[in-house]
Amino acid sequence: MTREAVKEVFQSMLSMEVNPEPPNPLTADPDGQIIGSVGFIGDATGIICLYAGAGFARVITSRLLGIPEEEVDAEEMVPDAIGELSNMVAGYVKSRLCDRGLPCTLTIPSVVRGQQLSVECSGQVTTRAIGFHNCKHHLLAEVLLKDSTAKEV
Amino acid sequence: MSIKILTVDDSKTIRLIVAKAFKPFDCMVLEADNGVVGLAVASREKPDVILLDYTMPVMDGFEVLARLRSDPDLKATPVIMLTSEAGRDTVIKIAQLGVRDYLIKPFKGELLVERVGRVVDLKNKAAAAKKNKRFDDPISILVVDDKPAISAQIRAGLEDTPWKVNNADQPGQALDRCMENGVDVVLASLSLPNDGAFMLLQNLRGYANTASIPVLGMCVRTAAAEQARAQQTGFASVITKPIDPAELKTKVCRVLGLETSYKYFQQRDGVLALMLPKDFHPGVVQEVSTHLQSQLVSTVDAGGDKLIIDLNSVEAATMPVIELALSAIQAASKLSLRCAFVGSEAIKNQFRSYEETQAWLFAGTFEQALALLK
Repeated sequence: MTREAVKEVFQSMLSMEVNPEPPNPLTADPDGQIIGSVGFIGDATGIICLYAGAGFARVITSRLLGIPEEEVDAEEMVPDAIGELSNMVAGYVKSRLCDRGLPCTLTIPSVVRGQQLSVECSGQVTTRAIGFHNCKHHLLAEVLLKDSTAKEV
Repeated sequence: MSIKILTVDDSKTIRLIVAKAFKPFDCMVLEADNGVVGLAVASREKPDVILLDYTMPVMDGFEVLARLRSDPDLKATPVIMLTSEAGRDTVIKIAQLGVRDYLIKPFKGELLVERVGRVVDLKNKAAAAKKNKRFDDPISILVVDDKPAISAQIRAGLEDTPWKVNNADQPGQALDRCMENGVDVVLASLSLPNDGAFMLLQNLRGYANTASIPVLGMCVRTAAAEQARAQQTGFASVITKPIDPAELKTKVCRVLGLETSYKYFQQRDGVLALMLPKDFHPGVVQEVSTHLQSQLVSTVDAGGDKLIIDLNSVEAATMPVIELALSAIQAASKLSLRCAFVGSEAIKNQFRSYEETQAWLFAGTFEQALALLK
């Protein structure tokens, strides 16, 4: 479901094909990484996180807004674009969950930036990670599901 | 009159995507970053269509829609809902609220245009464009600076044009002047207290009758951070102090789309004449380059096959003049136009000292140049 969502969002909004690959932590970008995350709560509960290196995040923003990379403002445009992209991925997943009889509500997107970041949840959660790549760029989608949800999905 | 489209979305990214999608069309895109602001803008501007996000902080799309439907002035305004949630329940809920259409994110810009095009009559900007003003038409410039010397300097620099320069020393006063109509372009100092220039731009963009007035920022050359911020926040351009009148004229021409080709090009009996001016500055290169190709194509279309470059006004054979002439010759030769130059003996000798100009055909008058090309 998340794999489809990421591929669909990247294809539609960025005209960019991302292909699945084994998940690897994104530590290669010296400028750090960015995580966009959106939670869903209800009959299905969890968080969807998109991890990207700062360089790829800039490429994504440039493609999304249709502006040259040098005009991308890393402080304002990049977090907003990654947040919106995460929201679209989560929206896609939420719709599928609702159609399977698991109604839920999305949280507003949040974005964090830094070095060697990871998102962890307290309590009983199942983590599923899917790696993606586009040429030299890598992306990681992580879904953290409450155990009761994980059994049903 | 332009179509007004209001996009209400907390995501700046989506608002930028919407604005970009409708850029080729004769329409005005108004923005609001939450439902409360969206209702205020809708009430003030009476948009022709509203693109409304479903999930927003402060006031979500449902509540905005409900309030629109209870407002007698706005209840008939078509609303297209944008949502990243495509579940059955959401879609049913949206349909029950009486939106005209809805779009699921992710969406392509073309799809958005197509859906909006079903609701309003979108016209291509080029088709709707009126005849452009010319460089020698009167235009009104409003200088927003708390230092009167800057306005005086600009007024003096533009005294050879029919352009009128007025001054406002505060952003509030500038906004009032713009609302009264008649202001074609605003020059605002980026160093005004309390981010005055940035606030002014934001306010101008929020009103239909001022949203399309181009605003140029002014700052000192070393204020790199201010320049970058201005470019990111929607200033049409930035001009550095001390103001160079030639640069200012070029930038004003560009942001207002003023017709300038008549200053440099003339069609004479099927021959294209390119007249290079005495005051040769980088703006001349830009303006000539902008019009060169279309002028050459028009000449060929009209059956012409000659380009004559008039150097009579040029004071010195400088590299920028030579480079521009070379690019004109190259563009002309691609269209099989032959080229000659007109200039005095003195200027001819100056040009002859450069290796690049050895093959140029020189003549003293236009008629003699024509004869050389026969």
